[in-house]
Amino acid sequence: MKLEKGVLLTCDPAVKQILLMLNNRQPFILQDLDEFHVVIKAELEAWVRSQLETELEKNTYNLE
Amino acid sequence: MAMQKGASSSTSVKTAQHSLLPFLQTQSQQSLTRLYQRPSSCLSIFRLLDPLSRQLILNLLWLESPVPLSVMTAWVTTEGTRAFDDAVSILTKLHILPNPSVKLSLSPTFKASMRQAIIGGGTTASFGVPADAENKKPPSPANLDAYALERWETILHYMVSSGRGQRPREPSRGVIKLLTDSGLMSGSEAAPQITSAGFQFLLQTPHEQLWQLLLRYLVMAEERGIDLIEVLSFLFMLSTMEFGWDYSTSSLSPTQEVLMEDLRDYGLVWQRKAKSKRFSPTRLATTLTSSLPSLPTSSSSSTNTAAVASGTGATSEGFIILETNYRVYAYTNNPLQTAVLHLFVNMKSRFPNLVIGMITRDSVRRALANGITADQIISYLAAYAHPQMRKFNPLIPVTVQDQIRLWELERERVKSDSGYLYQDFQSLGDYTTLVDYARQMGILLWESPAKRCFFIREDGHNVMKQFIERRKVSGGG
Repeated sequence: MKLEKGVLLTCDPAVKQILLMLNNRQPFILQDLDEFHVVIKAELEAWVRSQLETELEKNTYNLE
Repeated sequence: MAMQKGASSSTSVKTAQHSLLPFLQTQSQQSLTRLYQRPSSCLSIFRLLDPLSRQLILNLLWLESPVPLSVMTAWVTTEGTRAFDDAVSILTKLHILPNPSVKLSLSPTFKASMRQAIIGGGTTASFGVPADAENKKPPSPANLDAYALERWETILHYMVSSGRGQRPREPSRGVIKLLTDSGLMSGSEAAPQITSAGFQFLLQTPHEQLWQLLLRYLVMAEERGIDLIEVLSFLFMLSTMEFGWDYSTSSLSPTQEVLMEDLRDYGLVWQRKAKSKRFSPTRLATTLTSSLPSLPTSSSSSTNTAAVASGTGATSEGFIILETNYRVYAYTNNPLQTAVLHLFVNMKSRFPNLVIGMITRDSVRRALANGITADQIISYLAAYAHPQMRKFNPLIPVTVQDQIRLWELERERVKSDSGYLYQDFQSLGDYTTLVDYARQMGILLWESPAKRCFFIREDGHNVMKQFIERRKVSGGG
């Protein structure tokens, strides 16, 4: 039996794909569990969230 | 569905306990009894209670001997038992009903004061002493309203502007300290910044805002070594005073005269001069324990003299029109209302009596980032909706409501929980025992029998560790 400390991210499959892409840039995923869940390094959570935010913002369009 | 949710939450707010009651319940029996010596305090607390508790008090008020609990419960229907028990437990915690387990009777002090509050008489002067008529006339209601409004809006405006680097007129030092102490603002003493709690505060009704600050004030007073009961009875006295009357300071204790200075800063009392021998409560003070609106913004709608007199142009009732295309028209020239709207509306144009803006994704996200919730935005829009808007049902266009909630959900596309991942189990038996235990304890977040791994919450780590060790021991033995 093995024990690992981390942060469980629950997300939709689309976000999950972005996470995998970000992981290629800088590895932070400890375990890829299934379509909706990944476990990542606890200390990188804030960074992952901000990166994800930037990626998602690229997909929204503004009239102004 | 969204509408129903909104409606139910607003009714629950109405029936919820007044925020002062939990605070009173933390006080000792001794200090509460001292508080109950003043008829005005008893009457005020009575007004803050829920209808059932009030009914109980009135039933018991004129009885000389205690009533057996069984007699009282005979009146209670089966569905009402819970409400009855709740009411009795609140009254017990307030030490109004001592030992309710067998016989019910009001605490003697409370009973005597409450009776006095109703039938009058006595010389406690707990309702204040009206000042001699002499030749000085009391200030007009319009002036009092204008004064209270100006004071209160100065505080709110100071808060709302801090986030944007503007420097409006500052409230007094005491007020700023109160704001930072209550966590509504934080940062350096010279230039504190509004916090997310502060943003939420801005969207509440004046009555809720006032009590939130006063509760904090009570805690601070305690820390400063001021007698809490003096503060409370002073507040209660103000709340039972007649609006528009002049009162004499002669009946006040020295502590209460010190308090007067703070309350002047908040706009609760008006004095001609700091050393004046008379004072007048404003509407903020006289509505402390009633359900009437605390600020003239909504009450003086018919005359609107206060608004005209003060020049702030406080609008009567609602002023916001929200269209299905997310456009917001706010008929106001009040800088505070404009500033609050600016928290979640993208402003487009400004006219002497009208501000036009748009609710956009960015403007709502900015608000959400400040800690404001979608529900708060929607309830603010509903609370200040223009009379013209009230013809519509639902009041707030469903498209806009839903979109605001969706924008909130969008921010939560990723949910994170820290904890521990268990994997690489030798046997399926080991895995199932552990996973079953985690599920039982309610600490399991994710499991996969196929991969033989599971994830538990961080706070469940110790429980799990102990369980594994116990298993090892029993397995070895």
